[in-house]
Amino acid sequence: MSNDSAATADNAAAKQFVRPDFPVRSSAGSKRWQAVVVVGLIACSMISLLTTVGIILMLVFESSGFFADDQIDIWEFLTGTRWTIGQSQGQMYYGIWPLLSGTLRITGIAMLIALPMGLITAIYLSEYATKRVRSILKPVLEILAGIPTVVLGFFAVKFITPYLLQPFADFKTFNATSAGIAVGILCLPLVTSLAEDALQAVPRKLREGAYGLGSTRLEVTLKVVLPAALSGIISAFLLALARAIGETMVVALAAGSTPTYTLDPRVPSQTMTGFIVETFKSESVVPGTLSYYSIYAVAAVLFILTFLITLIGQIIRMRYREVYD
Amino acid sequence: MSKTKTKKEKVASTSDVTAADPPQSFVQADADMPAEPAVTAIEIKDFNAYYGDFQAIHNISLTIPEKQVTAFIGPSGCGKSTLLKWCNRMNDIVPIAHSTGSIQIDNRNILDRSTDVVDLRRKVGMVFQKANPFPKSIFDNIAYGPRLHYKISRDDLHGLVEWSLKKAALWDEVKDRLKSSALGLSGGQQQRLCIARAIATGPQILLMDEPCSALDPASTSRIEDLIFELREQFTIVIVTHNMQQASRCSDRTAFFYEGRIVEDGLTEQVFTNPSEKQTEDYVTGKFG
Amino acid sequence: MSESQDTQREYRDDQQRKTMSHAFSVLCLVISSTAVVVVTTLLISIFMTGGNWIDLEFLTANHRENNPEESGIGQAIIGSIVICAICGIFALPIGVGTAIFLEEFQPRNRYLRLFHGLVQLNINNLAGVPSIVYGILGLTAFVYMFGFFSSIRVNDQPEYEIGARYYYQTKTLGGSYVKFPAKKDYQPTLAVTGSKWVTDDQGNSFRLVIVPNENALSAYQSRLDRAIVVCSIAELVEQEGEKLYKIETIGGREVTFPAERSYGQFSKILEPIDVIGSDGETFQLNVISKRDPLPTDPEIKNRTVVADSPDPKRRSSASIFRETNWFHFHLPFSKSVLSAGLTLALVILPIIIIASQEAIRGVPQTLREAAYGMGATRWQVVRSTVLPSATPGIMTGAILAMSRAIGEAAPLLAVMGGVLGTTLQLSSLMDKTPVLPVTIFKWAGDVNDGYENLSAAAIIILLVILLLMNSVAIWIRYRYEKKLAK
Repeated sequence: MSNDSAATADNAAAKQFVRPDFPVRSSAGSKRWQAVVVVGLIACSMISLLTTVGIILMLVFESSGFFADDQIDIWEFLTGTRWTIGQSQGQMYYGIWPLLSGTLRITGIAMLIALPMGLITAIYLSEYATKRVRSILKPVLEILAGIPTVVLGFFAVKFITPYLLQPFADFKTFNATSAGIAVGILCLPLVTSLAEDALQAVPRKLREGAYGLGSTRLEVTLKVVLPAALSGIISAFLLALARAIGETMVVALAAGSTPTYTLDPRVPSQTMTGFIVETFKSESVVPGTLSYYSIYAVAAVLFILTFLITLIGQIIRMRYREVYD
Repeated sequence: MSKTKTKKEKVASTSDVTAADPPQSFVQADADMPAEPAVTAIEIKDFNAYYGDFQAIHNISLTIPEKQVTAFIGPSGCGKSTLLKWCNRMNDIVPIAHSTGSIQIDNRNILDRSTDVVDLRRKVGMVFQKANPFPKSIFDNIAYGPRLHYKISRDDLHGLVEWSLKKAALWDEVKDRLKSSALGLSGGQQQRLCIARAIATGPQILLMDEPCSALDPASTSRIEDLIFELREQFTIVIVTHNMQQASRCSDRTAFFYEGRIVEDGLTEQVFTNPSEKQTEDYVTGKFG
Repeated sequence: MSESQDTQREYRDDQQRKTMSHAFSVLCLVISSTAVVVVTTLLISIFMTGGNWIDLEFLTANHRENNPEESGIGQAIIGSIVICAICGIFALPIGVGTAIFLEEFQPRNRYLRLFHGLVQLNINNLAGVPSIVYGILGLTAFVYMFGFFSSIRVNDQPEYEIGARYYYQTKTLGGSYVKFPAKKDYQPTLAVTGSKWVTDDQGNSFRLVIVPNENALSAYQSRLDRAIVVCSIAELVEQEGEKLYKIETIGGREVTFPAERSYGQFSKILEPIDVIGSDGETFQLNVISKRDPLPTDPEIKNRTVVADSPDPKRRSSASIFRETNWFHFHLPFSKSVLSAGLTLALVILPIIIIASQEAIRGVPQTLREAAYGMGATRWQVVRSTVLPSATPGIMTGAILAMSRAIGEAAPLLAVMGGVLGTTLQLSSLMDKTPVLPVTIFKWAGDVNDGYENLSAAAIIILLVILLLMNSVAIWIRYRYEKKLAK
């Protein structure tokens, strides 16, 4: 009945409804459409899973091409201390340690810079900073986080090495220290924001309780907030570590292309990522050759390292989130 | 309509309540004497509800009559909101919620897997504790439900929006700014908008989950007026913390305590002459 | 211990504690401000190095070897934008779709919930995978497609291809160029230029010796039956159903090698064929012998080639070239902007997903309840309620992810190689292109004077682009918030 009355579309129509009584649209259509959408969404989600599966399968199959070669012994790969693939002819050595140690050296220097500075900056932002300081520091950190890594690499090789390092000691043009400093700068915003998240997640009432007992800010920070946020901070450190290990462009520009097995921070030290980029840059990657397969073997080591560290970091992070949520 | 009138007067003079009143044949319940037994709108039997392992409702059975206002009262966490949410399966969006027993609406157990939830929610509308208008225009807010459910022409849609807003006593305040954002309305207006939005979908039953808890007294009183008027056409179930509110605007009251119904019956009886000690303690303010 | 002593001691401690706390806050401030110092130094040093190298020519010109004054980043800017766009087109819908699935379609089924948790954990982990690993994945999955379509070979024609036509081009006596279409199964004579493994009629297998020219033959005396002069012509023959190239060595030995399934070099035009002139006109090419008199009329010279000139350089050899349409497409994608865009899409996918999830989580639950309460299906709730409210957050996250993509160099190096400049314009998804970050990288590593400054100048442009993108993100946010508040 309201159909008829509603047809006279004027103000009077409104007065004659009892309740809307229009032909009901069947929900079957919208449900069918939803089913289609859900399938689409699952397909989208599968892509991220497939990416991981793809990476793992690729690394397994292609690096097996490396280890299947008669000249290659997997034990020597994992323990050897000379690496000559991609370099001059002669006896070929393929021990990963020069590359791995290069990565570890640069990562170590980077962490020496990024972890304490990042943590202190986070503490400052979370516990001390006034609104004004925050409004300067936060955007600066965001700018730093947004700077492409190739730019930091340029900065390392054209500024840090000649102006910060070479005046003081006998640093080579390409060296582990300047790359390490640049990677540290790159990890700084990451450590800061993750650690700040962890500090902020500590409930107010814990701080209030401590202040109520007459603690100073330093005591509240060191004795109450830091221990409570510890797992979050550790996870921040781990994620930064993974980031530093996987960093590519900075080391490709600043660390040089000579694999070295040494503790000297002044000499060139090619990293795992550096080796991969160097091989791609020279465009000598001919599929099927040993140097082509060696990329995958090195990448497999790199992936396993970063994946494990990230995974542990994520698990710790999830744990601390649960505690306060 | 004048605010000075008492509720009873207003209800008695049905014809002057709103211009949008239905033809006489549709007015079934007499406000002064709730028909007993009235036609049943919702029949709840042996109903248990759980969140994960926690049992929120223990074996409830309750009959809610058509075109009356039924109030659920009780202290926080007593399961009244949970029951309300199960009446149109809102708990479906909570992954850990599940239930046993039956809730019959239109002679069908709506807890069945086969229930068309979309259709159910068209028939059983809901108004929430906090006004939750969409960040869209007033018009689009009201038109949301009808657009989902009906094959409706533009003109009809305009008529329906106007009717709903009039029913919710909001038309005069917003008729000149239907295209502006609903978020610009005051709290009380937003809640009436949500009521208008719910009835525009054409429900038989209207569930209200503490609709006034976030509002000031003046807005609360307007919404109470509205509830009383709407029962001419809709079966209303209202959850409330506020016992005065329950006594002012409901026909029947069910008192919940720790997931069980302690007492239910005509509002007057529950409030003035409760049969259970707990009910008496609660309505007189000894706890809760 | 008396009460007064006790309070006195506490008072002393108090002073010390306060000083400590104050000192620590000063230390914090000093350390925190190093970030400001670093950013300032970085920007200043880069502007000093590259600032006055930026001019219109720099923005429009292309890379040149050993000529920094005339080099520029015209192609690189366009390349970066195109790749970023491809990356966004793929990553944005997939990322938002995944986020919606994770946030709004939480299943009740136990196993599906396990799947959910797995996807979530996986995404957080993918965000920590180094971008160079994505680059290698892109190389394997997009450039070579796991070697699925053909065995991986360099400089090979793809097997599945549309939007491309192959021509042979040759130079006439008059100096004009004519072309004629090449067919895939048409494998003409081949000018052998590179050393090859060959087999003789006895079944012996050895490597051909390539002699640079006839004058150098004396140096190869002892190996003449294994040697050919470079660009000697091999004929296509068929033996037992197999296609082979046959060639005679200088020592008179006949050897063969298998014909690959690709276009060979067309080296000898022996009979008149229909060709297309440079003006598009079709005519028949005259073929004359070296003993015939050379024509004098320029019109005829432009339509004539010599079939058997003794000089390999003047021989009527035709080189292959490819004309492509804008929809040129082949499998595998090989080193192309499409591969690069897809690879970057994988890199930023986790970032977009995480940002979208946060935006979606920020939509108040009450809005969802309102829509569900009126009988909307899950998808209707998402489309009409959740997505509109989450859009500014999603857009901001997406733009930030895109600015990560535009600055990425490592995956592009892996997927496209270190391209600095190409002679061809970017005309289809299958072309290669230089991009800004790779250009910066290559220039920064160039030992010639001037490229260092160019690199800094390119960095400034890249930073300006990033600044613009971020401004857009802020603007979108601001506009949306204003619209909602109205």
